[in-house]
Amino acid sequence: MSRNALEGVRILDLTQVAAGPYSTFPLGFMGAEVIKVESHRRGDSTRGQVNPPAHQLFTYPDGKPGPRPWNQRADYVQRNRNKLGITLDLTMDEGKAVLIRLVERCDALMENFRAAVMDRWELDYPRLIKANPKLVYLKMSSQGNTGPERNYGSLGYTMENTSGLTSITGYNGERPLMSNETYPDPVAGTLGVGALLLGLRHVRQTGSGCFIDMSQREVTTGLLGEAIMDYSMNGRVQGPTGNRHPAMAPHGVYPCTGDDEWVAVAVASDAQWSGLVRALGNPEWAGDERFAEGSGRWHHQEIIDSHLSGWTRGLSHHEAMHLLQAEGVPAAALLKGKEVIHDPHLAERDFWDWNYMPEVGRAYAYVGTAWHLSKTPRRQGSPAPGLGEHNHLIYGGLLGMTEAEIAALEEKGVIGTQPLWTTTPV
Amino acid sequence: MTFNSPLVLSDLTVIDASQGISGPFCAKLLAGFGARVIKVEPPEGDYARRMGPFHQDVPGDERSGLFLYLNTSKESVTLNLGAPGGAALFRRLARRAAIVIESFAPGQMAEWGLGYAALASENPGLIFASITPFGQTGPYAHYQATEIIIQALSALQYPVGLPGREPLKIGGSPCLMTAGVSAFSAIMIALHFRDATGEGQFVDISAIESAAVSQIHASVHAQFGGENPLRRDSQLSRTKDGWINVGIQDSSWKQFCSLIGQPSLAEDERFSDMAARRKNTKALVEILEVWLADQEKEAVYHQLQSMRSIAGPVLTVADLVGSPQYQIRGYFRPVDHPTTGPIPYPGGPFTVAEQPWRMERAPLLGEHNELVFGEMLGLAKPDIARLRELGTV
Repeated sequence: MSRNALEGVRILDLTQVAAGPYSTFPLGFMGAEVIKVESHRRGDSTRGQVNPPAHQLFTYPDGKPGPRPWNQRADYVQRNRNKLGITLDLTMDEGKAVLIRLVERCDALMENFRAAVMDRWELDYPRLIKANPKLVYLKMSSQGNTGPERNYGSLGYTMENTSGLTSITGYNGERPLMSNETYPDPVAGTLGVGALLLGLRHVRQTGSGCFIDMSQREVTTGLLGEAIMDYSMNGRVQGPTGNRHPAMAPHGVYPCTGDDEWVAVAVASDAQWSGLVRALGNPEWAGDERFAEGSGRWHHQEIIDSHLSGWTRGLSHHEAMHLLQAEGVPAAALLKGKEVIHDPHLAERDFWDWNYMPEVGRAYAYVGTAWHLSKTPRRQGSPAPGLGEHNHLIYGGLLGMTEAEIAALEEKGVIGTQPLWTTTPV
Repeated sequence: MTFNSPLVLSDLTVIDASQGISGPFCAKLLAGFGARVIKVEPPEGDYARRMGPFHQDVPGDERSGLFLYLNTSKESVTLNLGAPGGAALFRRLARRAAIVIESFAPGQMAEWGLGYAALASENPGLIFASITPFGQTGPYAHYQATEIIIQALSALQYPVGLPGREPLKIGGSPCLMTAGVSAFSAIMIALHFRDATGEGQFVDISAIESAAVSQIHASVHAQFGGENPLRRDSQLSRTKDGWINVGIQDSSWKQFCSLIGQPSLAEDERFSDMAARRKNTKALVEILEVWLADQEKEAVYHQLQSMRSIAGPVLTVADLVGSPQYQIRGYFRPVDHPTTGPIPYPGGPFTVAEQPWRMERAPLLGEHNELVFGEMLGLAKPDIARLRELGTV
């Protein structure tokens, strides 16, 4: 019988955009009850605009925003599965009071606002811990909770810049480039899962709640260990080196038969080089004595690259990958978004969370978890909540409010299910 | 205040048989939060000891910056798991452990009699985490991978780089590191369950899946809009000393025009709001770059952030080590090692209840053989000597 590892853990999720939601959807997968709190005056910015502009239509199912576009935008629905959704205006006194009541009934609270936002709302850790002395408060801000830049704003892609990641990304010897994939967001999110659970363990050990200070920027810099150690040890400031590796060669991506189709290849040892030569059918050029050893291959990698490209051009990326891997050579088809969801390896491992969207009448493959636990597997994902979808469930069921009390909150504009924003802030 | 309470994981012993980047990074995080991590290396050492960068660019077992970074706060023993008595000693270690981490090819540990089933039969509370490129099952389970292979297959790499040129790897080893982060969080989930039930379990981590979680646009946008996201240029502008993403918001546009000495631009219809500026990006960038050419990237960063614009300069590792934000937070911390002397390392990724992050130097190869095999397992000196002769230790 499978069980939920995080059964009984209730999390108040004030996070928005990406990094925080990338913590709470996996926590939900593992059995935690996640309550996503938004204001219906602003909404999570990934819900997009109420009347989406033409250049954003590609983020909606079949390019159609539908009658309630804010509930079915691609990024919002992928990142907010496995959560209950409520609205609450935390700038209003009534909203703050309701939040305190929720905090009393939750094990943990997570937020990724600019550092001062919760202070300004008078909902900071010192105040919330009074409401619930066993609360874990995970603050996942861009810069951390202290320091001169604590109130600076960021997005996933500017974080690549300020963390150092961009400085080592780019074509060999050329200007730096951002990944445009906001790489720091999902990393901080994934780490947030462990951070929040460490906090809960601290509460079990001490009986007291705790504050967790996570700087997304520092988390990302921590991924650059090699580059930082090179600077610390040797004074070297690494820059972009493209697809080259400091020791391996050949190492890079090589064109295949299809349109913009590529295979990645990396040769780390003499044995793998021999495997590559076998996979290519022992061509004459490969017998060149300059390629006999790793350093020779590295120094003459452009020559090897041109021969290797000649071979890969006659193959699909999957053919090249399997021929090389059959000889023990690290190689991979460079998959596109449409391809990766049908990759047989990920499919056989049940990586994707196929989730039905009733408004559109079809299922989409969303990312699952980065782990498989033998006794406590992840649950089937539940769809991302519509704006304020679970107001009655949470305010009635969890807080015990009457329908009249809930209606009064709606009337005052403290809660609501209709979006009142006109444009998204970012 | 709970400032003086022991570190959160200080009651746990971890046996870390992993090598390379992902597994050791995971175990480093566990050690930083207090776990006792015993690193079990083959007699020739973790292969990361032979990966650069090296101190003064000279290779050597105790000279790899990558290894030194990834193995802080651990003990090291050498143990040949395939040699006589090697597996038996490992089983004795695993009986005392809460967590075992390994990164061998799928099936290798079981071949040595050290698979999850064998170890759990002697220690039902054991959390056994395997961290490999492709995971334990599936058609590619025995395929080989490095960082670029993981970025390629996970769909992360395809949209990175410039239009018309080849897809570009994100620099460094971010996906291998992130697989370690994923493993850390997975182990915390298993530990939560173990604390509640006393039961351990098997944890299967695949770097490909960890990277596929990290591709946050490609697979979902391809399905919704029907097109694969494509490579596009970065919005970076050149300053006197580097590059910056300016990120101007509607609310700060007017202030920004004053900052660059062109207040009349605020009335210019080409740039009146975000949509107009998007349409006239080229003209705007030209104006911007004339101004930026005489500015320093960090000065612009602070000026724009003070207007609540979300600017981000491209900082190098040298900029980061000198960053006031990092300095005041004590992010970089000196670690002394016989090879390098004291040099700055990146610190912990977060703090819990203001507890200090534990960061002691990486162990020398086999530095703790006597401590672990002698004091912890109670082997007599002649027994250890005999194992050394057999090539086991």
